[in-house]
Amino acid sequence: MNDTEQLVKDALGKLAERTPHPGPTLNALRRKRKRHRNVFMIAAAGMAAVAVLIFAGVIASDRYSPPSGNDAAAALMPNNGQSIALRYAPHWLPDGFVENFRGTHEQVSRAWVPKGAKGYPFDDGGPAVIIGTSAEMPDTNGWDSVTVRGLKAWARTGAGQSRDATAHVVWKAQDILNVEVRGVPDARTVALRVAESVRADPKLTHQPAFKLDGRFADHMWGTKPGEWESMTNWRNQVSVHVSPVAPALAGESYPIRVRGKDGFRTGNTVSVLDGGAWIWASAESYSDLVLEAVNKVELVPSPDTSWIGSGLRS
Amino acid sequence: MTPLLRYATVLTCDPHLAQDVVQEVLLRAQQKWDRIGSVDLPHAYVKRMVTNEYLSWRRRRAAKDVALCMTTLESVTPPVGDTTHHYDEREAMLQRIAKLPRKQRAAIVLRYYENYEDSEIAQMLGCAEGTVRSHISRALATLRMDHTPEPAGVGLRLGEGLS
Repeated sequence: MNDTEQLVKDALGKLAERTPHPGPTLNALRRKRKRHRNVFMIAAAGMAAVAVLIFAGVIASDRYSPPSGNDAAAALMPNNGQSIALRYAPHWLPDGFVENFRGTHEQVSRAWVPKGAKGYPFDDGGPAVIIGTSAEMPDTNGWDSVTVRGLKAWARTGAGQSRDATAHVVWKAQDILNVEVRGVPDARTVALRVAESVRADPKLTHQPAFKLDGRFADHMWGTKPGEWESMTNWRNQVSVHVSPVAPALAGESYPIRVRGKDGFRTGNTVSVLDGGAWIWASAESYSDLVLEAVNKVELVPSPDTSWIGSGLRS
Repeated sequence: MTPLLRYATVLTCDPHLAQDVVQEVLLRAQQKWDRIGSVDLPHAYVKRMVTNEYLSWRRRRAAKDVALCMTTLESVTPPVGDTTHHYDEREAMLQRIAKLPRKQRAAIVLRYYENYEDSEIAQMLGCAEGTVRSHISRALATLRMDHTPEPAGVGLRLGEGLS
């Protein structure tokens, strides 16, 4: 860079210091929105636009400072905290694959398996397509350089739990996204095709079955809308579950009063049927925390389970 | 919003115009958010909207586009005083940048402020990479030619910088 170019750079940097405060512009936007006939829709879209711009802007470009945790949390909790933003959806999957799992612990992860297959926990090596966001890029040293929708991406194929190869594709769009495909012929081609089909969808949300300490449960899986299980780890000690299906517990059960109802203690597990949903909690060793966890569960009246066992939705 | 405003300020050399441009763009972005929110990089998309808005804004307002002067900038956010010298080379360079034709100025900003590659600038401006190189080369030639310091307050005259 020569002297003139350096001077241009310095001058532009100096000019940037004179950026006005965003307050007046935000106020003007609010005033103009009020004049618009469809106030509610525009305001909601505006807030979403500004939130995503702030979030996406700082994520998508390393020219800006990193976002605060609050920005990220806000972006994942639209609708005033009534649901969780999934943000992305595939628009192509291998024939017959249905959604089986959603994980929303800090990052979003969704999985599809052939209809009727075991699914979560994916420990049988069976066919699966898993799409998720990541907090950071993996070490792509040794991966193949590819493109996904014109964006730089990396792919690799290796041995996994499946008898067939497992293929991974990772790329950076608004967020870092990854696709994992296993148990299908030519997994790499399938993974790239799935990745090409992934689109951002700001309207796509997920509503888990319960909250604990104000936080949504972060795992949900099942085979059909009426057969599912939602789970979270509480205080890194207690595993808390909700399901319409009774838990399979081994050993002798004793009555215990929990949530104002007659429940059971079976070994280190406390369970109770409340309003059509089974709630249970377990820990490595029994303590009052197990009982407390069940008492503190806030059931969501009508959790969205329509996605369970469904393929791509139009 | 601040990164967008900052970019618009550098692009327009005018904080007031930057506010107008960003406001206009965000209003339109809100109305089209369903579509914008589903693109891979909505931030880049909106930034491109800001660039296009600036380019077309200046075309629309060419007839009444007057004086860009440093006092305008300083009235919004006063610069930190330079105690070492009454004349700042950077101020003079800013005035020269402000006189550049709009596409040359946008290319200069994208290259030297945003650190974009030619291909990225071409995508942002909707032109070929060769055109980007030409814009930057001509702009730098202009900026090199005029090394005579101008007193602060000399601004963009009517009709300048609109090619």
